[in-house]
Amino acid sequence: MSQALQRTAAEQALGISLPHRRMEDWRWTDLRARISKPYVPQNVVAAAQDVERLLASSPFARAARARVVFVNGVLDEAHSKLTGLEISKSCAAIAMQDPVLEMNAKLQPQGVTLKFVGQAELLVEMIHISTNANARAMGLHNAIEVAAGASASVIETFLGEGDYVMNAVTQVTLGKGAHLDRLKLQNDAAAATHLSHVIYDLGENARLNDITVTIGAALTRQNGTCTFNGENAEAKISGAYLQRNKQHVDTALVINHAVPHCTSREMFKCVMDDHARGIFQGKVVVAKHAQKTDGKQSSHALLLSENAEFDAKPELEIFADDVVCGHGATAGDLNHDHLFYLTSRGIPEAEAKSLLIAAFVGEAFDLVANDDVRDALVELAEKWVTAK
Amino acid sequence: MLKIENLHVKLSDESREIIKGLSLTVKPGEVHAIMGPNGSGKSTLSYVLSGREGYEVTEGSVTYNGKDVLAMEPNERAAKGMFLAFQYPIEIPGVQTMQFLRVALNAQRKARGEKELAIPEFMRFVKDRAAKLNISQDMLKRPVNVGFSGGEKKRAEILQMAVLEPSLCILDETDSGLDIDALKVVAEGVNALRSPHRAMIVITHYQRLLDHIIPDVVHVLSGGRIVKTGGKELALELEKNGYADYAEKAA
Repeated sequence: MSQALQRTAAEQALGISLPHRRMEDWRWTDLRARISKPYVPQNVVAAAQDVERLLASSPFARAARARVVFVNGVLDEAHSKLTGLEISKSCAAIAMQDPVLEMNAKLQPQGVTLKFVGQAELLVEMIHISTNANARAMGLHNAIEVAAGASASVIETFLGEGDYVMNAVTQVTLGKGAHLDRLKLQNDAAAATHLSHVIYDLGENARLNDITVTIGAALTRQNGTCTFNGENAEAKISGAYLQRNKQHVDTALVINHAVPHCTSREMFKCVMDDHARGIFQGKVVVAKHAQKTDGKQSSHALLLSENAEFDAKPELEIFADDVVCGHGATAGDLNHDHLFYLTSRGIPEAEAKSLLIAAFVGEAFDLVANDDVRDALVELAEKWVTAK
Repeated sequence: MLKIENLHVKLSDESREIIKGLSLTVKPGEVHAIMGPNGSGKSTLSYVLSGREGYEVTEGSVTYNGKDVLAMEPNERAAKGMFLAFQYPIEIPGVQTMQFLRVALNAQRKARGEKELAIPEFMRFVKDRAAKLNISQDMLKRPVNVGFSGGEKKRAEILQMAVLEPSLCILDETDSGLDIDALKVVAEGVNALRSPHRAMIVITHYQRLLDHIIPDVVHVLSGGRIVKTGGKELALELEKNGYADYAEKAA
């Protein structure tokens, strides 16, 4: 029992018990053992030049037409570009419980609700900057609401320097017939811990196209809970990992098919180098009356080193009897036939490898609707590949 | 130009020899056809020349313009002007055909100390050659060979050849899986590349490709050796009598 465990210094600082490896959902990510320092919230005053430098380093700096800037967990209106946005400084309470949400509540998170009622005219970037200061913990709680018949395109970007724990919760609500393109780029500081939970609620005929790109942080745990509340809705939730050194990423996604006739697609493309470790836990739950559910998930890992590791844990809990559900997982190194074909055309082996790695992860980027954003991601992946 | 002397090849993980003492000399401007039954070593020869892993040369030598081919990596061979049109072109998801051609051409130019082509210049260069091979802009935007029909894959191989402008083209069973119309398009593409400076080795099981790409020399490969060499009429003779005579000779 967890009560039997004496609280660590980190747990005492945060005022909660951290999840550990004896809990099934956390078996690969022992937060209790990994968060060893007493991270506490702190007020940090950031120098404008640091903020501006980090803001400029976003790959979407040019593509985004509106910007909501958070610096060290606090809204920075001066650096934001809020024209045309319907924004309020509060978020609805969350009924769910899990360790990430529990920690988030303890951190007294700030955040905004972005509400969209018209058609997507602005590409909006919510950008979370963490500047180099004392080791600390930060909480964020934001919401994206797309009203019935409306559409929106939102990017959440995380960038930072130094040593911190970022705990970010995002609530995504799509009304009847609403459409959202959402992209999350997590490129937090190399020493950072990134914890997140995205809660998606989809109404009838809603369309969600969601992509999470994970490059930064030493330790990442990202939870997702997607619930279909109306029929004929569709959710595409994809992801890409670009991980090396001793980085660790664990994604735990639950799709709740609570009503009939909905479609869910999950596709994660994970590039793991050096001693990096990637995990994908995908669970699809189909309620008894949720007939004609079409739910598929896949995770594919490209292991560039013998020491890299990838674990996939697909789970299907199906109570209905007329559904199409499936999952697939692969892990392997670069295809030798592909390499030979490229080198036989004169491309040196190192360059051929870069091309194939970028192509592998690019399959997830193909789902990005906005050309500028997709190009920025391709460039980011190429930079990552050649940075070694 | 290309000189193969007493070449012996086996698979790396087997002791059985596939090529058993093959010698061949190809001069600039010549088109050599290599014909032979299944299992005679035709494809092995093409792979060894292009540097595919999994084969071991146990004896003999291959030189190209005086350089030791077997000591070179596949990309170095390509930069020196050698090109293999694959029997089964490989599909590469996620790598756009146009991007692939540009990266390959510029890598070769760089290796030869030539200036890389700028994108607009390169696009014009490719579009012009693609049009001649009935290759649409849409195909150039698609990932390399992904979802291409058999005929489209072979045309794409010839397009690569036309773009990379190699000095030695090795065509491995380029006719396999093609109907007569597709065969004509491919053959026209190949013929357009014939020049006094460029040599070709056409590897084929059947004579019909050689109606369209007329060879200067025809070799019969059987049991890992060249067992007969003649003019283009040798191909017609093979078509009539089959390989039975040669199979016995090799045994």
